[in-house]
Amino acid sequence: MSQSHDHDGHGHGHGSRFIQHHYDDAQHQFDSGKLGIWLFLAQEILFFSALFVAYILYRSHRPEIYAYAHYYLDVKFGAINTAVLIASSLTAAWAVRCAQLGQRRGLILNLSLTLLCAFAFLGIKYVEYSHKIHEGILYGAKFDPCVSSGGSPLVTKRNHCDGTKSSVVWDKLAAKASEGCLESAKIDQDASTPGLQAKCVVTELRRNGAAFEPTGKTFDECAASALLGHGKAKDVKYPCYTLSLQPAVCPKGPAALVLYGDHTKRPDVGIKVECEPSPPAKEADPFAEAAGPAPLGTRALTGVEPPTKHELNERFAAGPPPPNTNMFFSIYFAMTGLHGIHVLAGVVVFLWLLFRAIRGDFTPDYFGPVDYAALYWHIVDLIWIFLFPLLYLIH
Amino acid sequence: MATNHETSGHEPNFYEVKRGLKSWLYTLDHKRIGLMYLWGILGSLLLGGAFALLVRIELFSPGQDIVGQDRYNQFFTLHGAVMVFLVIVPGIPAALGNMIMPIQLGAPDVAFPKLNLTSFYFWCIGATLLLVSIAMGAVDTGWTFYTPYSLQTPTAVLPAVMGVFVLGFSSIFTGLNFLVTVHKFRPQGMGWFQLPLNVWALYATAIMQILATPVLGITVLLLFVETFMKIGIFDPQLGGDPVLFQHFFWFYSHPAVYIMIIPGMGVISELMTTFSRKPVFGYRFIAYSSVSLALLSFLVWGHHMFVSGQSRLATMVFSALTFTVGIPSAIKVFNWTATLYKGDIRLKTPMLYALSFLLLFTIGGLTGLFLGILAVDVHLHDTYFVVAHFHYVMMGSTLVAFLGGLHYWWPKISGRMYPERLGQLCAVGVFFGFNLTFLPQFVMGSRGMPRRYWDYDPEFTIFHQLSTVGAFVLGISLFVVVCYTLWSAKNGPRATVNPWGATTLEWQAPTPPTLYNFETPPELHELYNYDDLEQVADVEWVRVSKPEGADAVAKSSADH
Repeated sequence: MSQSHDHDGHGHGHGSRFIQHHYDDAQHQFDSGKLGIWLFLAQEILFFSALFVAYILYRSHRPEIYAYAHYYLDVKFGAINTAVLIASSLTAAWAVRCAQLGQRRGLILNLSLTLLCAFAFLGIKYVEYSHKIHEGILYGAKFDPCVSSGGSPLVTKRNHCDGTKSSVVWDKLAAKASEGCLESAKIDQDASTPGLQAKCVVTELRRNGAAFEPTGKTFDECAASALLGHGKAKDVKYPCYTLSLQPAVCPKGPAALVLYGDHTKRPDVGIKVECEPSPPAKEADPFAEAAGPAPLGTRALTGVEPPTKHELNERFAAGPPPPNTNMFFSIYFAMTGLHGIHVLAGVVVFLWLLFRAIRGDFTPDYFGPVDYAALYWHIVDLIWIFLFPLLYLIH
Repeated sequence: MATNHETSGHEPNFYEVKRGLKSWLYTLDHKRIGLMYLWGILGSLLLGGAFALLVRIELFSPGQDIVGQDRYNQFFTLHGAVMVFLVIVPGIPAALGNMIMPIQLGAPDVAFPKLNLTSFYFWCIGATLLLVSIAMGAVDTGWTFYTPYSLQTPTAVLPAVMGVFVLGFSSIFTGLNFLVTVHKFRPQGMGWFQLPLNVWALYATAIMQILATPVLGITVLLLFVETFMKIGIFDPQLGGDPVLFQHFFWFYSHPAVYIMIIPGMGVISELMTTFSRKPVFGYRFIAYSSVSLALLSFLVWGHHMFVSGQSRLATMVFSALTFTVGIPSAIKVFNWTATLYKGDIRLKTPMLYALSFLLLFTIGGLTGLFLGILAVDVHLHDTYFVVAHFHYVMMGSTLVAFLGGLHYWWPKISGRMYPERLGQLCAVGVFFGFNLTFLPQFVMGSRGMPRRYWDYDPEFTIFHQLSTVGAFVLGISLFVVVCYTLWSAKNGPRATVNPWGATTLEWQAPTPPTLYNFETPPELHELYNYDDLEQVADVEWVRVSKPEGADAVAKSSADH
């Protein structure tokens, strides 16, 4: 602890009125604050660490979830945000230099630029988040996407994709259309399940009271498009209806799920589907039942090459999400959400610094808060630099 | 600062500087903040103790005695949560440490007084949230909040979990504050190895508080988000992993055990040397063992999860690492024993607590080794053996050290002596009550009595009854301690500057200290050298001659 020797005039030899009484001098206060902020940053890293561990754990257990789900994220947005944050780190560091040199205008300018970048980051994040909320690409139990990560439409559990598509279930045993089995965990979207895709006849339904009743009218895709009020087929964003990828297995028995056009505009119109279960896609592999690794020579016998990882990813992206894809978005929202809260906190801090800078509080003797806030900002930036590749750039 | 009481040339002490409720609520003085912590912690101690007694009454005989099973689950949960998060974790660092540590460094205050007050208010908010959860029907998950049960129980997990989150940040800020204070507020001439061992212990604790507590923070935050947003990270129904919660929880909560015990060890180091009138044996070993315990504490969390479905390799590695913790712990015990050897032992109340600590910590530590053995742990896991083990460490050691430290520093901070005879009586009561409570639990645990059970086989009745009787002896002793501490704050005989003849700097400060602790800068003497101190009355010692040459000052460390 270095004793202050310049007891001239300022009471305790303090250069600025912001030097607190229990410190020896400005340097002592600055050093203490600097150590304090570094420890705080260590704390921050540990605070985020659990999320990184969760990321590593689930990715190592279920790599296909990550391979599938990252197509939902827009690398363009992530990259812009990375650039924005790196730029803001530069201006934050520049602000510190200005404060050290007592350049008040430069300080104010750089603090403002940092704030501007922070707002830009939050704005882009807002665009990304609102798109995901709209499309049902959410965390945990709320994960219910309107489209696959490859862009093809999906049946949703809550039927919430207004204006794009909707779904009706035709229950063959009960011989009526219902939405009853559109509940969590009751829809099987696995395209590889044989049984329901083949030989389907689509007929129009009209809602009569509470239930749909068939009109006996069969129609094709374009007819459906016209019927549903879209006019021309080219106006339809998604296919009028699709059958091939959307089988459903209700608890009561087999049923078909049909996607078609704008459900909300014509709530009285439905589609009836009558399907005969298709035969199994191919002869069962005689070795498929064997537990553990396949015996030597299996591949030669069957003649089927395993798909490459890239092919798997492509196929996954086109099809419905693998089970528990929600975990990716749980982690995505936890990580980016916590990071976003830190950015918000940074905005508050920089607004306060801007206010104090305009008031002229900072001098070459007293610029600690600018320095500490910039360090905090760098760690927020650094965490994003890890988040960007981990979430957006998976291959 | 206000000096309107300045009459006789002496500065007013820190009570006199300003008066009134507002002067306390807005205070930045570490001593006042420490005192407010102390009252809060003693109140929480009584609350947590009351829950413990309710648990013990219910277990007096098999079947229902006073409450049903669900209520019983809430009792032991609240006992655990209140005692761990409100009493034991902040007990020594935030209350005693706050009051004493800056004075031991000869510093005017901690590095960040406003942050210190913030910590205290965080503690208050956390305590309030725990009380809110009690008012909302209490929690029944156990203090560990294990998923998936904590996601399913209808009880008030949300406020309790938020309380723990806020309390965590209270602890982090205290640790951060202390660490910076130790680094930046040592006086000229006080190098790292002239620091009192209490400061070393608080330093090691601060490292853990900063590095472990944030993991608890994010874990309970995730649990909180999980509960009302169904994010699924710990929910197996959504693909999450409930065992991951246990990993995160114990990554904090194992170091937390050392956050609880190491400050106690620091206090005991001070008491052992002062009341043996001998320099502490193996100063550097004790100092280093505190830090190495702090670092090792991060490597052993998996031993709480031997039967939770960890991989066999992880289990074996954690078991092996667990045994390494025995080394620094044993170093301390041996050094304290060697300090006692041929000492001029004074059996004042603090020393009675210190000697209790030595015995109880040894039992608690050694039974920990039993639990670290994989084959044994499979049988003892979740039995009363575990309950007895961690009570020997957390209560028999930490709380006893807290009480020892409280009696030791109370004269300095309050300016009043506690009643010595009554204090000694209570110390003996705590020791016997404690052993009567928990020794039978080792026996019944090893015979298979599971922990947290509301009912039990009649063959365990005698052990439960002994335990309940012991709990009452313990409870009454603690209640009397809290009562006479409150009483002596106003009515005790006035304390002298150095009632125990100790050498650390706080005993040079006025009693009670002034606002910035010292009227004149303290002189640095050789630490734990009692040759120059002479007893002039029962509780008054004075320094008779200055040490030849200022060799302590000459050993000034180069790091400043």
